[in-house]
Amino acid sequence: DIHVQYERVGADVTMKCGSMDWDAAVTWTANGTDIDESHLNGSYLILKNVDLSQSGQYSCYEGSSWHLKYQTYLRVGIPPKEPVLMCRSNNYPKGFYCSWHLPTPTYIPNSFNISVIHGTKDMVCEKDAVPKNRCHIRYLQLFSTVKYKVTLTVTNALGKNFTTLIFDEFAIVKPDPPESVVAKPVPNNPRRLEVSWQNPSSWPDPETFPLKFFLRYRPLILDQWQHVELSDGTSHTITDAYAGKEYIIQVAAKDNDIGTWSDWSVAVHATPWTEEPKHLTTEAQITETTSASTSSFMAPPTTKICDKGAMVGSGAMAVCWTAGLVVAAYSVFFI
Amino acid sequence: MAAADSPSTALRRRDLCSRGIRLAGKMRADVVDLLDAYVEQQGLDASASVAAVEGVPLAAVERWDEQTGTQRLLENLAAYRAFRALLAQMLEEQREQLGEADAGLGRALAALLLQVSAFAYHLEELLRLESRGVPGEEGDGPPPPRLSLFEQKLRGLGVLRELAQWAVRSVRDLRQLAKPSTATGAASDLAESP
Repeated sequence: DIHVQYERVGADVTMKCGSMDWDAAVTWTANGTDIDESHLNGSYLILKNVDLSQSGQYSCYEGSSWHLKYQTYLRVGIPPKEPVLMCRSNNYPKGFYCSWHLPTPTYIPNSFNISVIHGTKDMVCEKDAVPKNRCHIRYLQLFSTVKYKVTLTVTNALGKNFTTLIFDEFAIVKPDPPESVVAKPVPNNPRRLEVSWQNPSSWPDPETFPLKFFLRYRPLILDQWQHVELSDGTSHTITDAYAGKEYIIQVAAKDNDIGTWSDWSVAVHATPWTEEPKHLTTEAQITETTSASTSSFMAPPTTKICDKGAMVGSGAMAVCWTAGLVVAAYSVFFI
Repeated sequence: MAAADSPSTALRRRDLCSRGIRLAGKMRADVVDLLDAYVEQQGLDASASVAAVEGVPLAAVERWDEQTGTQRLLENLAAYRAFRALLAQMLEEQREQLGEADAGLGRALAALLLQVSAFAYHLEELLRLESRGVPGEEGDGPPPPRLSLFEQKLRGLGVLRELAQWAVRSVRDLRQLAKPSTATGAASDLAESP
């Protein structure tokens, strides 16, 4: 017979070798490895203050014949703590779902049972195949002031725990974030960005249950967001963007009348339109351009200090009268 | 076989529905504000559960999406007529009990009563547009039983809570009604309804 034995972390465990007498000569193994006799009290195996690493297969063999007399799987774990439960309607008015998890692992198998009561009526929460810790309920009534009471009980071999949520129909309505958010520059408008998005695909009837939206945006170089609330439509033009700065933009959604705001959408980035830089050209460059027609090189703009006619000297030492006078004045000053 | 809506009827319905949606939205906002003030001034617990009060129309409905346009209008009208009477009663009790002590609450109740009356009239207009006779109002029944002060307060809480739910439901009902497909359904009800 295969036995499974569940024990709490920190417990003292005594294992008997099946029907063997206390004074029988036996050998115990843990996962195939002999256990030292210091852990034995007669034929009993004593494990004090067990920890998770001591989970495994324990076997007891008769001393001389090495016949297997007893075998058990020891699973060390902890009783469940209060589970975390959340219920939400992202597809109003069709229904809502509840999902749960344990705040800390128990290291042994757990089972979950959920009950949903609306007034005096028991409702069935149909478990989802994926993920496993979720179930959904279809609304049988709408616009009810009667609250829903959801109780989740978690049980394992070492104990049980539960939590309860009480809420009304409107309070848990929270759409999924808007989808397909796109932000584009507006040609010839250095301070505008055009943003568009779509209703979340999980929201079943946006015509009868329209969503409103909250848009937030900021240049990457700043921490403070600008906010705009939009009561209809799925697009907006930002008109006060800083020219040339890259922006980060997000959108959230909420039913027009009830519930709470969705999480923020995936962020999109965009930079407003900027004019192409125009190069300054001198007479020499225009001449060079026209004479060297095969060359595509454009000389960089030069800063003129003085006219060509005022140049003195030649080559690298050529200076103009104005510059020469300044240098001369400084020289006299420092002599 | 029901005739299709004329363009002018469809436009008029859409216009009435739009205005009705705005009315109901404003009404809901005011009821929510009034609820907060009511709970505080009456010394009630906001989370108190109030059992369904006799005579208060419940907004809760099953198979809401399957209702016809005419059903929606008739149920809404019956509800708001009931709320009109309930709010008038609340106002009278408020004045008897507190006189001028709670003038703010009294004014808010009176303003809400006006909105409810206006909305009921709006619903009647929509029903006339559907060429549906507007049901007559039920005559005054026997006088309501005299409640203790605490029972009056609890009933008031129930009235305002249900009215808040109805305001949300009415917005949804009118949006359904404003849809072209629903409008056709409402017209075809005319032939089918007794």
